[in-house]
Amino acid sequence: MSTLKGQDPAAIESGIAARLADAGITDQAVIDHITEVMVPFIEQAHKVRESLSELSNLAELDALRVEVLGKKSPFIAFMRNLGSLESDIRPVVGAQANEVRRSLEQWIEERKAELSHADLEKRIGEGTLDISLPGRAHPIGSQHLISRIRDEIIDVFIGLGYRVAEGPEVELTFFNFDALNHTPQHPARSASDTFYVHDMSGEDFEGPEPSEVLMRTHTSPVQVRAMQEQKPPIYILAPGKVYRRDIADPTHLPQFTQIEGLVVDKGISFADLKGTLDHFVREIFGPQRRTRFRPHFFPFTEPSAEVDISCGICDGTGQVDGATCRFCSGVGWVEILGCGMVDPNVFEAVDIDPEVYTGFAFGMGVERIALLRYDIPDIRMLIEGDMRFLRQF
Amino acid sequence: MRVSLDWLEGLLPDGALDEMSIAELTERLDMTGTAVEGVETSGQIPDGVTIGQIKSKEHHPDSDHLWVTHVDTGEESGLLQIVCGAQNFEAGDKVPVATIGTVLPTEDGKGFLIKKSKLRGVESFGMNCSARELGLGDDHQGILVLDESAPIGTAFKDWFDAGDTIIELEITPNRGDCLSMVGIAREVGAVFECTPTGVLVPEVELVEQGDAIDTLATVVVDEPNLCPRYTARVIRNIIVGESPAWLVERVNSAGIRSINNIVDVTNFIMIEMGQPLHAFDLDRLAKDESGRAKIIVRRAKAGEIMVTLDEIERKLTTENLLITDPSGPIALAGVMGGMKTEVEDDTVDILLESAIFDPANVSRTSRSMQLISESSLRFERGVDPSGSVSALDRAAALMALVGGGTVAPGVIDIYPEPITERALTLRSEVLDRIAGDDIPLDTAKEYLERLGCAVTFTDDMQTTLSVTVPTFRPDLEREIDLVEEVIRLWGMENVPPTLPGGRERLGGLSRTQQLRGVIDKTLRAAGLNETMTLPFSDTLDLAKLNFETGEKDELVALHNPMSSEQAHLRPLLLPGLLNSVSLNKRRGVNDVHLFEMGKAFLTNAGRKLPVETEKIAGVLSGLWDRAGWNVASEPIDFFDAKGIIEQLMRELNIDRLRILEPKEGELSWLQPGKAAILMLGNDPIGWMGEVHPSVAGKFEIDDPVVAFEVDGAKVIKYAKAERDFSAPPRYPGIEMDIALVVDEEVAHKDIERRIKALGKKTPLADVHLFDVYRGKGVAEGKKSMAYRLAYRADDRTLTSEEVERVHEKVLAKLKHELGAELRS
Repeated sequence: MSTLKGQDPAAIESGIAARLADAGITDQAVIDHITEVMVPFIEQAHKVRESLSELSNLAELDALRVEVLGKKSPFIAFMRNLGSLESDIRPVVGAQANEVRRSLEQWIEERKAELSHADLEKRIGEGTLDISLPGRAHPIGSQHLISRIRDEIIDVFIGLGYRVAEGPEVELTFFNFDALNHTPQHPARSASDTFYVHDMSGEDFEGPEPSEVLMRTHTSPVQVRAMQEQKPPIYILAPGKVYRRDIADPTHLPQFTQIEGLVVDKGISFADLKGTLDHFVREIFGPQRRTRFRPHFFPFTEPSAEVDISCGICDGTGQVDGATCRFCSGVGWVEILGCGMVDPNVFEAVDIDPEVYTGFAFGMGVERIALLRYDIPDIRMLIEGDMRFLRQF
Repeated sequence: MRVSLDWLEGLLPDGALDEMSIAELTERLDMTGTAVEGVETSGQIPDGVTIGQIKSKEHHPDSDHLWVTHVDTGEESGLLQIVCGAQNFEAGDKVPVATIGTVLPTEDGKGFLIKKSKLRGVESFGMNCSARELGLGDDHQGILVLDESAPIGTAFKDWFDAGDTIIELEITPNRGDCLSMVGIAREVGAVFECTPTGVLVPEVELVEQGDAIDTLATVVVDEPNLCPRYTARVIRNIIVGESPAWLVERVNSAGIRSINNIVDVTNFIMIEMGQPLHAFDLDRLAKDESGRAKIIVRRAKAGEIMVTLDEIERKLTTENLLITDPSGPIALAGVMGGMKTEVEDDTVDILLESAIFDPANVSRTSRSMQLISESSLRFERGVDPSGSVSALDRAAALMALVGGGTVAPGVIDIYPEPITERALTLRSEVLDRIAGDDIPLDTAKEYLERLGCAVTFTDDMQTTLSVTVPTFRPDLEREIDLVEEVIRLWGMENVPPTLPGGRERLGGLSRTQQLRGVIDKTLRAAGLNETMTLPFSDTLDLAKLNFETGEKDELVALHNPMSSEQAHLRPLLLPGLLNSVSLNKRRGVNDVHLFEMGKAFLTNAGRKLPVETEKIAGVLSGLWDRAGWNVASEPIDFFDAKGIIEQLMRELNIDRLRILEPKEGELSWLQPGKAAILMLGNDPIGWMGEVHPSVAGKFEIDDPVVAFEVDGAKVIKYAKAERDFSAPPRYPGIEMDIALVVDEEVAHKDIERRIKALGKKTPLADVHLFDVYRGKGVAEGKKSMAYRLAYRADDRTLTSEEVERVHEKVLAKLKHELGAELRS
């Protein structure tokens, strides 16, 4: 699209004359007439163009636009009447008038864009905030530290193809001890270590303990129930609360959260147990942590082991800045869980053939991991519900 | 088990322990299943301590308790001037001297560096040391004055026979055999490939003399199942007195106090050989008709009474096995002796018992009496019957040696069914299957032989071992036990880590577990913080709530609670949470928003296991947050809790929550008028409301607390898995506001229900209450409820005439049924 050229009347006139000549119109009277009609419009257009820069806001611009291009403006009225012109000159005048209109529209648009931009800039400038002011939000709550760690651990094992199994917190001695190869005189059975619950069944019970109903001391009964209900392959994780008769002090609670794992399948070996726990430790404690398996004894596994992880404070050296590492007492290792290959006696109690299937089991205390990870001085903080503690996690 | 390395050294071939550092020893023991719990070293004398002689001793010119000494430490450069505060020495005495640069041991392990110093103006070039400063004992009253023969200038540690190192070992319950020095020597030998010498120090020869034992004593065992072997000897004419130093040192090293030479010998042999012994005063034993002391091993009669050595009178049951004489009990078998026949200073003749008792019986007796002794610990874990007589003989010979007596000829040995060595097999295939490693069978054979087993290959293919287990390893009962021993010595660290191969398994959470996660996240998103409380219930707390169990329900009671406050299991979570609110308020934390997901317990007659209900409970008090620069803060009330419940229902896709007012007496811990029963259909799923101020007050809470508790399993059951989709409206709606003046008694739900009832036939899309107003312009006893009604049709744009028509109908209905007036 071309825009109007020239401003002085002579230039405008010669421009009009040239256009008429192109159209083959040579009659001077006609040329004069057209020139007379068109020149004021063109001059006015140029004046409008000049005045645009003086306009300071969009409202003024809009008013101007209505004035020059609105339905009631003389120019638009003229354009509407083009049809009344002689047919030979109509196209020439029409083209010229259209050019005037397009030019006006373009200039106004350009100015409008300038003013809009300035206007936006101005509004943005006025809206500058103190961005250091605090935001506005409804506070969200925290997950309990123990649940958080529990969920992290569950996620690791779900990734390894485990499912989560659950069971009652009040259990029978059969599931908690007998089926787990605890001898009748095993000290954990004693009423000084384990909470016994009144049996309301009215059945007779004889034994050195007060009852055959107890608060589970580990989540292993969940494993026994799983092995009774389900045929191998079994890949389960059993998280949950367990209870032991400990007086609450900075390092003990009568309740803690245990996570046990059980795998029963063909060809499961101690090597698999090691690889699984190595993976777990790296996922939960970091890729640089190492494990150490020390032979140990548990009634329900054979062979059994305790697992240490390299101390995260001294990186397993036992020394921090030349002094004994306070965290691991200079040992370089921190005990983290117990594990082993499922004892054939346990398989027998749940009718799984130990000549066909082997398995491993492991168990850990979530509170212990929490205390290790965050160096929390008093385990009782975990059950107090102090908002200032809970909100940190 | 405290193990003296000095003692252990004597049981192993010469130099076996010298080859390794203590760190190596403890590390290998750790890694083969004998955890080292501590290392105590006495007498680790530091370098730089030299034997010196005090050449002169003069008063410090500026102190009345310090001395200025000149000490010859053999240095060619001359005597050392040392300022010294001790008073117990004279010129000419030989003393240990810490020269400059020596680091003396300190309790914090950092050590104390000896530097050139000035004491009140006099220079000092070292320190004359006390026993404690050298870590040799507690004596710090004065410096350690040495024997005259001490060679001047010699390093003190080369001359002085330094103390001992005690390692504290954790013996797992299966390894009773390691509760003895001989057993530890065997274990260390197996780990380090050195066979114990079998020589016990001091070596003694048993000399028998005088009347034969059958003329002096007789034994009857009534309960051979509980006492599979009973052996005894008589030692006569001993003199009870102090033990010699070596014996005191040995029993002390094991953490046992020295009593007298006779008792010390029994303890020494128990520690050395693992066989608990008991010495009776022969003369105080009641005699049979032929004048012989008579021992009867029998069960106690119900209610029988005896006084044990700790001077406690114990009431016995038929569970308890006794050593008795014809007059009554003289020992609680395997646990503790009795007062009546105790060896005392005037004891002359002794009947020495070396017997085997049933592990389970000893365990039950000792635990039921809370009487755990060195003896009972060993019997519980199993003592080798094959060793009873050799322990008895050695003890008798030692008693004769240290007590100056004679051993009567002969042994009483009642052993009706001698133990046989167990024969097991170990298949190579099983070993490798369990280990996940290739352990050569001849390596396994060697390990088992080191542990004292007799091992042969059963076949030419060398795929199976035939293993004869020594009687001192009763824990090796099955093939798997042999596998464990082999892996232990092979080294668990040498087994390569692998992951189980994957077949037929898919990990994941069950729907219930996933929904529990949804509940947890929803409550946290709503602003509640998860907490955890104990499952015990204080009946006092329940009384504060005026809580009563349902007609058939009973609280779950513990037989052996830690305290009376923890005697039951909680029937609801609220008390624990209220205690947490109270704790926060007392600590100055006023804004409390907590929830807990945990079990509640109830039982009833006939039940064995109680009913465990998974509860979701919350408490809120104070403000959500402090008022901010751009946020107002309102005190938490009933509707905050209700909002949370509504959000929870939304997230679980449950749309039929109903709120009922509790009947009188129900939910006794809530404030009447601010309490609600939560219903899904006709099933009550929980409650919510404001805790009754008097209840909160009993928990020392002054502010309003709102709380809720719902049955987790029920809401999970009702949660709808499928969500219905309906297309977002395509046509615009029209919103109309109405303010209705109604009687106070008219509830929101009365209005809402009536409006919605029209909904099915009319294009009414939503009813939203946006204001409740009482006060100016509204008559007393009335309130103004302002609703915004949204009208919309799914298939067309509604005309305003259409909407007006419906709207009029709504108003007419409300006016007619509820007396509602439009507020002008």
